[in-house]
Amino acid sequence: MTRALIPATLVTLFVVAFQLEVFSSLRFAGVVIMLVWLWPLAMGLAGFTSLALVVALVGGILFDTHAVTPFGLTAVVGLILAYATSRLAREGIGDLDSAAMWVTPLIGAVGGFAAPLLYTFGGFFALNFALWRGSLFESVVVNAIAFSILARPMTRLAKAVASFGERARR
Amino acid sequence: MASERSRRRALTLGLGATALIVVLYLTGGVFSGLRSAANVVVSPFSWSVNEVAKPIGHFLAGAIDYSDVVAQNQRLRYELGKAQQQSNESWSFERQLQQVSTQLHVPFVGSLPTVAAQVTAISPTNFAATVDISVGRDNGVLAGMPVVANGGLVGDVISTTPHGATVRLISDTNSSIGVTYGSGKLTLLVSGRGVNNGLGATAIPLTTSISPGTIMATDGLEGGLYPPGLPVAKVSKVTLTPGAATYNLVLRPTANLRFLSYLDVVLWEPST
Repeated sequence: MTRALIPATLVTLFVVAFQLEVFSSLRFAGVVIMLVWLWPLAMGLAGFTSLALVVALVGGILFDTHAVTPFGLTAVVGLILAYATSRLAREGIGDLDSAAMWVTPLIGAVGGFAAPLLYTFGGFFALNFALWRGSLFESVVVNAIAFSILARPMTRLAKAVASFGERARR
Repeated sequence: MASERSRRRALTLGLGATALIVVLYLTGGVFSGLRSAANVVVSPFSWSVNEVAKPIGHFLAGAIDYSDVVAQNQRLRYELGKAQQQSNESWSFERQLQQVSTQLHVPFVGSLPTVAAQVTAISPTNFAATVDISVGRDNGVLAGMPVVANGGLVGDVISTTPHGATVRLISDTNSSIGVTYGSGKLTLLVSGRGVNNGLGATAIPLTTSISPGTIMATDGLEGGLYPPGLPVAKVSKVTLTPGAATYNLVLRPTANLRFLSYLDVVLWEPST
């Protein structure tokens, strides 16, 4: 995990930069696709729990410093997604090589569906009661679709990044 | 077993660290420094992403001198917006002249100084409608100042740095504005309904007559957050539930919040 930490953190920084520079403007139905949530989800699905938690925390915190929404909430949602998907990966569900083709996209879709809801729910704990009044429905739908499409390639990337760290050690 | 423990420890540490940072943020002061530090960390990566993404975007657009055309288009849109704003403001000025001609010191945007700014970034999230602008404390911009463009009120400044500021748009779900219309005798509270959904007003008594097309402007009540007469929104839909004693309004901002490139910060503070 330690060796893979550096490439994973570097990729996380690129993911945050990509999120801020490209995906903030590139909206679908007015909705931003949250790569900063998809990345830890994919890392978790790839079976690297600790790494997934680290990239969720780093990516979430860096993203939160650029938004005016409750600080830390993106990171918390990322952590929950990372932990949940890594538990699934531990059970062998969603494994790219052995599971059915549709399983990873389905988990991605569920993650994309749940993440904005978790975020809105978390907003109540951060004393922000207005998050649900925004484009919640559109966010849920667009992110579910986008996550289902991007889940497989992102999980492949996560595997490659983690195994790159392992190869470097050998 | 040991790895399970270490995972749990990592999760606990992560959640603990986040909770600590939230507490530090709530107690104030840390966020600004943290944001600067995060900007320093992310900016080289943002720069590289930009360097790669921009040429691809331009290539896909398939036009020579695409950037110049976009910049020119933005400038023209800004000028058109200013013209629309002046047109929208005129009715408000007339009303004020008739009703409060004795109150010579009531401020409105026509006589207030403004600072032109360029939008440098839009909100990266679905849950907040904000933009970052290119002017900050060094240009006299302070938190709470109203921001106008493209035909009316755009929002207000919520935070500043020496060279930049963040503007909360009127469509943000945390935004509420006191507005008036027509003779100015009645005031309403309109609230943001999210990035894509414009504004809304609820619980309007049936005795109040408001029709689609009515332009709402800031009420400028004493102690209010905005000077009077800034056009805010136009009523686009009146929704009435049978049997209800009140009705709701759906409003469209007079400013085009989807295409914000240039805007003006009105150097007006609520206390002044």
